[in-house]
Amino acid sequence: MTKRETSRHISRHLREGRLQIAAYAAICLAVFLVPVLVDNDFLLNRYARYLVLGMVAMSLALAWGYAGILNLGHALSFGIGSYCMAMTLKLRTVPTHTGSDGLPDFMVWNNVETLPWLWVPFHSTTFAIAAGLLAPALVAAVLGWFMFRGRVTGVFVAIITLASLVVANLLVIDMQAYTGGFNGITDLAQLSLFGITFDAYSKSTYYLVATCLTLSLFACLAVTRSKAGLILQAIRDDERRVRFFGYDVASYKVMAMAVSAAVAGLAGMLYTVVMEFASPTFLGVPLSLSIVIWCAVGGRQSLAGAMLGAIVIAAMQGALSESEAFLETWTLVMGVVFVAVVLFLPQGLAGLVEIVRARLAAARARPAEPIAPVAAPGTGERS
Amino acid sequence: MTLKRRTFLQGAAAASVAAATGFPHIWSKNAGLARAQGGEIKVGVLFSLTGTTGIIEESLNKATLLAIEEINEAGGINGMRIVPIVEDPASDPATFAEKARKLVVGDRCVSVFGSYTSASRKAVLPVFERRDNLYWYPTLYEGRECSKNVIYTGAVPNQQQDEFIPWLFENFGPRFYLIGSNYIYPKEENNYCRKLLAELGGEVVDEEYVPLGHSEFSSVINKIRSTQPNVIFSTVVGDSVVAFHRQYRAAGLDPETMPMASLTTSENEVAAMGGDAAAGHFTSAPYFMVHDSPENQRFVEAYQRRWGGDKVTHFVSEPSYFQVYLFKQAVEKLAASDIDPPTIREAVRGEELMAPQGRIRIDPDNLHAWLWPKIAVARSDGQFEVLRSSSDWLRPDPYAAYPGQVCTVNGLVEG
Amino acid sequence: MEFFLQQVMTGLSIGSILLLVALGLALIYGSMGVINMAHGEFLMLGAYSTWALNTFFGLGLLSSLVFVFLLVGAFGWAVERGVIRFLYRRPLDTILATWGIGIILQQVVRLSAGGELRYVEMPEVLTATVSILGVTVPGYRVFVFVVVAALFALTWALMFKTDFGRRLRAVVQDRDTATCFGVDADRVYSLTFAYGAGLAGLAGALVAPLKSVSPEMGTAYVVDAFFVVVLGGVQSLFGTVVSAGLLGQLTGSLAWVTNDTVAKALVLVAIVVIIRFRPQGLFVAKVRS
Repeated sequence: MTKRETSRHISRHLREGRLQIAAYAAICLAVFLVPVLVDNDFLLNRYARYLVLGMVAMSLALAWGYAGILNLGHALSFGIGSYCMAMTLKLRTVPTHTGSDGLPDFMVWNNVETLPWLWVPFHSTTFAIAAGLLAPALVAAVLGWFMFRGRVTGVFVAIITLASLVVANLLVIDMQAYTGGFNGITDLAQLSLFGITFDAYSKSTYYLVATCLTLSLFACLAVTRSKAGLILQAIRDDERRVRFFGYDVASYKVMAMAVSAAVAGLAGMLYTVVMEFASPTFLGVPLSLSIVIWCAVGGRQSLAGAMLGAIVIAAMQGALSESEAFLETWTLVMGVVFVAVVLFLPQGLAGLVEIVRARLAAARARPAEPIAPVAAPGTGERS
Repeated sequence: MTLKRRTFLQGAAAASVAAATGFPHIWSKNAGLARAQGGEIKVGVLFSLTGTTGIIEESLNKATLLAIEEINEAGGINGMRIVPIVEDPASDPATFAEKARKLVVGDRCVSVFGSYTSASRKAVLPVFERRDNLYWYPTLYEGRECSKNVIYTGAVPNQQQDEFIPWLFENFGPRFYLIGSNYIYPKEENNYCRKLLAELGGEVVDEEYVPLGHSEFSSVINKIRSTQPNVIFSTVVGDSVVAFHRQYRAAGLDPETMPMASLTTSENEVAAMGGDAAAGHFTSAPYFMVHDSPENQRFVEAYQRRWGGDKVTHFVSEPSYFQVYLFKQAVEKLAASDIDPPTIREAVRGEELMAPQGRIRIDPDNLHAWLWPKIAVARSDGQFEVLRSSSDWLRPDPYAAYPGQVCTVNGLVEG
Repeated sequence: MEFFLQQVMTGLSIGSILLLVALGLALIYGSMGVINMAHGEFLMLGAYSTWALNTFFGLGLLSSLVFVFLLVGAFGWAVERGVIRFLYRRPLDTILATWGIGIILQQVVRLSAGGELRYVEMPEVLTATVSILGVTVPGYRVFVFVVVAALFALTWALMFKTDFGRRLRAVVQDRDTATCFGVDADRVYSLTFAYGAGLAGLAGALVAPLKSVSPEMGTAYVVDAFFVVVLGGVQSLFGTVVSAGLLGQLTGSLAWVTNDTVAKALVLVAIVVIIRFRPQGLFVAKVRS
């Protein structure tokens, strides 16, 4: 590479970096502008829900798209976060259906006499929020350490994470006295922070979600743009090469999984606030697979792509299932969309943008740059 | 490299796709604020049409729509049409909550008819309580709930068990094996069953729970074989009911000597397992399709005419049907200008109605229904044979297992 | 002793159904690398085909089996030709595509076969129980066990004793070289996929009399079947048998000691630990990649 080429390369790199930040900022700005256009409690609540789903998909893109960890059990982190929030909000509810005070209603139903020790610290909302971030990160780190120390890769990572999720789900449903079982934790108080009460149907809740989304989007962006982020991408593309360079591959992967889990935990906490309950379906296999699907549809190698993928799919599901014409066939349409995306847009919606961009560039009759094929993570992962 | 280059356009394009597909409402005006207006009464119908409980909930959806259609054809309520808004919550609690919000907050329905599982009812409850709306819940359930925002038209434990357990005890013996799906409903039913058995001097040989959706009953059947109970008291739900019955039969166990006594096996489940697998087992419920009354004959005929001659009615679809008529009776008493959920609730307290199962009544205190428990045995043709009918309607007591707790107009009272 | 035998029989019953479902999946995943999330829906199609053949043509379960195999196999062939063949270079994308296909199938069946649970009658001759070494075993369970053993033998013979099997193994080992030697890799793949789908169809037909038939019935099986396949070792048919047997016995005995929920959780923990320390599965077939 000549000196001139190198400098051009670097300047392009910088320009792209600025472009990316500008694009992400534009998306976040758009998210913040929604309440100005929409003055409807119900829709704000619904959009807040979509944003939360976008957030959890984005967090998976960090692990999957950037570090090549296909975490089929991502809903585990999401679910732990949502239960942490639900526990603290539950302790603030006055039980109305059981008539006893102090204990959450479902514990009374299960003949629990005193508050279990695990629940006690959740009297503090601060503790709950810290736990909602740290507990998923810790669980993911332990699981990651367990797997990556043994150099487990590819589909085996997917199977181990999936199995862990199923175990957690079974336990949550089984330990009814402490978790509310299949019904989950319902009848919650509203979250109060800094003197603001977050009613699920209010602008304040929407802005809370939007703020968390923005912060976590840029946090994840910072991770991907850091040196560690580059190493993760190198690991994704060829793990062995990075190991030969002397990097501790396992530690980097554990870190990626933990950060991704913490963001998912935050999303889970917000989901409880928005939905007003926590349910074992929040750490269920169907949701976990859906997160993967959203990521793939949006473009797993783009944080914003994955986020928008989730929002688009969730919104489409909502709109289709509510239109009279598709009431019976909406799942069919969704299935067709998934198949079509895989066949025609292997890089997801984000890939669509690339195609459009290439067309535009060609139309401008400049010497078109060859579009480098982006290797799908997972190609060659078969053992 | 290629990764970062395209992000700006990526974002912009994806955002516009999102805007085009997902946010069509942004530009539309809010729905009308009045709750019942323009000669129309909007109600929500919230039963899953897809997902794991979709199959049973679809029959509830059908029964509800049938009643609404009949009422509209007969001139509506005081000349006003009922406009049903049907949503598909896809057997997922989160989707239930979202669709309930759409119906209550978005569409401003005055009432919503919906839910089969307790989990989905719990998920939608906050919406109805915060907005003081009304949810009409047709399913038998575990009791221990006292909400002024739910009208419960299905049975609670005392209505299914008070006559059933002593009857089983007398006819088959004292040793009961309790088996249920792993969630609150079976546990509460079993709590109550233990209480009744203790009073009778019966014995619980084992209490076992299987995961929801479980379909491999080899181990359970092994345990049953080795404990040899007199009665298998089953609160297994959904697909598991079918698997359990079929494997029970394949294992060569005999209903004559060790019958299953179920609170959850209806004509719907029997149709799904085949009459042979069901024959000889017992169910206690307020309604069976064979029940002999002019009202039931009308209901069954109308249902089959509307949805197909091979369809069955059962003890959850019957309340789904008659609760719409209860709604009609309550709204009829109101002036068109004050049809809103709280006035409907006050109007329905103590309301009586000739339902297919017999004359029912909404308890003025706890908003549960007075019902007519029956004990029936399944026949191989897929229908039940009613062996014993309650001589009087039975008061609903959602706190029957917990003396000292009473559900009143002002909520739960201890004393 | 009798108690012990009873446990073994229970384990065999559970294991044989696991193997029945996992066999087609193992073949498709092991030889083609396709993660077929629609496998459960192929199974569901098999169950519904049996129901339809019974209801509309009066065929019993036993006489339907061949038709079910062919019907679902043909359907699998069409899916491979229409979608899967474009995805061989992107194995993880097959998750997404087959998931989509699964959703489509569920809804199509729901809309066409109607919204009721269906059932398939057990053949009259198999409703009796048999006594094996003093233990009462349902006749139908024995039948399933025998059929699974036969299907496994057939599949093994197909893989290792026929020309088609040799071609398939050649393609699996090195697609390009095999093509150079005149093997029509496309055809081999589509036939393998069709065979795997046909096996899923048979599984559906055989579990139908024991369980319920509904559009969602397949989802419950596919995850368990995956655990069996991965645990057994991806390209080892014998590994699949051993792991199905192992998981069956483990589930059966743990469920006896505790209950079905705890048994399921413990079995999954065991799977996680085994995969961690033997990521290649219990048995490995040596394959050039």
